[in-house]
Amino acid sequence: MAAKLPPLKSASTCDNVTSGFWSWTGIPVEERFRELLEAAPDAIMQVDSAGRILLLNRITEEMFGYTREELLGQPVEMLVPAHRRGAHAQHRDGYAAHPSTRPMGAKLKLEGMRKDGRCFPVEISLSPAGAGDDFRTTAIIRDVTERQEAEDHLRAVREEYTRELEQRGEQIERANRLKSEFLASMSHELRTPLHTIIGFSELLGEQIQGPLNEKQQRFVNHIHKDSLHLLALINDILDLSKIESGRLALRLETFDFSAVAAESLAFVRTPAEEKSLRIETSLGQPIAMTADRLRVKQILVNLLSNAVKFTPEQGGVHLAARVEMGALTVSVTDTGVGIPRSEHENIFDKFHQVGATTKGVREGTGLGLAITKQLVEEHGGTITVASEPGRGSCFTFTLPLHAVAKAAQ
Amino acid sequence: MKRILIADDKATGRELLRTILENSGYEVFEAVDGLDVIKQAHEVRPDLMILDLHMPGLDGFGAVAKLRKDAAFAVTPIIALTASAMMGDRERALNSGFSGYVTKPIRLDALRSEIHRMLNEAV
Repeated sequence: MAAKLPPLKSASTCDNVTSGFWSWTGIPVEERFRELLEAAPDAIMQVDSAGRILLLNRITEEMFGYTREELLGQPVEMLVPAHRRGAHAQHRDGYAAHPSTRPMGAKLKLEGMRKDGRCFPVEISLSPAGAGDDFRTTAIIRDVTERQEAEDHLRAVREEYTRELEQRGEQIERANRLKSEFLASMSHELRTPLHTIIGFSELLGEQIQGPLNEKQQRFVNHIHKDSLHLLALINDILDLSKIESGRLALRLETFDFSAVAAESLAFVRTPAEEKSLRIETSLGQPIAMTADRLRVKQILVNLLSNAVKFTPEQGGVHLAARVEMGALTVSVTDTGVGIPRSEHENIFDKFHQVGATTKGVREGTGLGLAITKQLVEEHGGTITVASEPGRGSCFTFTLPLHAVAKAAQ
Repeated sequence: MKRILIADDKATGRELLRTILENSGYEVFEAVDGLDVIKQAHEVRPDLMILDLHMPGLDGFGAVAKLRKDAAFAVTPIIALTASAMMGDRERALNSGFSGYVTKPIRLDALRSEIHRMLNEAV
């Protein structure tokens, strides 16, 4: 690189240069400084201690719309919007008292004014020179109209976006509230007729009002059983909707998991005995955990009921629990009909029931596993299934031993 | 014979309750809304009341509030009956002056044992 530069003309051309600049051509250094000034993309001017303009470059003329002649010797305040002139003169005196190279009016919105009266945003850097009566200030002025416009635009876009987000948030909140109200009222409206259907069919079945023949008794039993099924379905849908709309607030408490396991097992004891199923447990020591006790029981009862439901007579159901690295892992294993591999993925979907392998078992609502999975996940846990047709199923869920309350939604 | 005042704005609901209760040997009086409950409570002086929470005009909450202010019904067992099953409803009812809470659809055994318990009767 250095080899390509033209040689120095002579040392004498540099004699007048005080600041150590060198000239590579014969052009006088002063001329080159003038070029530098004129080539600068910012307005550059020098102002004396009285605030009169001493020197300015070409861009200054362009920026403010005055000719050089109109500006030279004039007070610099003519370039400042009228309402700021007084303050500007004061700041100028203040600067003379504490001169240093610094940006002017940091954090202030500075404005310049053109000859035609149009104002525009500027950024100004100040440097002092000389002292006393000879004190001069060099000002470098940048027109930041474009940047200001870009910033204004960005701010407007951001505000618009924020407003939109807020609106959308309100809409979602409103929709959620409406959904809650709808659920509450739908649940109420569905239960009211179910109340009389279930009540009267139960009354008829008791035969206090008079005896029923065998067929009538069977019909009444069908009505009663199916209306209970309908009730279970309504309860499950309501439960699932609560979970899905994030309104299921877990009621965390610390309790012994083994006790909940015993209660859940008691729940399925009768149906298990009716099918002569062996129920085995590997629970070990009491396990203190923090979770929603009722929901943990719901998870267990769901899995145990499924296991009992889908296991043929003389089969077995095994409940095991162990604690590892701050997590509780529970598995419910059965010797039941099993689930084909292709069904494993969507077994937790709503209303998904394994087709051929259930062999006519269709008592459930088809929502049990979907609810179970949601409840496990609400606690920050996971649930998986391992199963093969004809060889039974094993549902395993893992819960943090101490669930953390989620922020209220 | 112990007297039970039931309130439900639906006739089928009243007939169901009446039948269940009469089968159990109680004398049953019916009210169709909250104001009717207040009026009949004074006439009948029931041993127990079963009020549906959702009734036109004065609802179950309103009726129980009025009844509890009256010394004559300060300790009478009053059971809330509701088809609503939202969380917190039971607490709200029990904090509003009801002595018991039963959800629709009712299970006959559950209702009977709740009534026996409140009337301090052997089941």
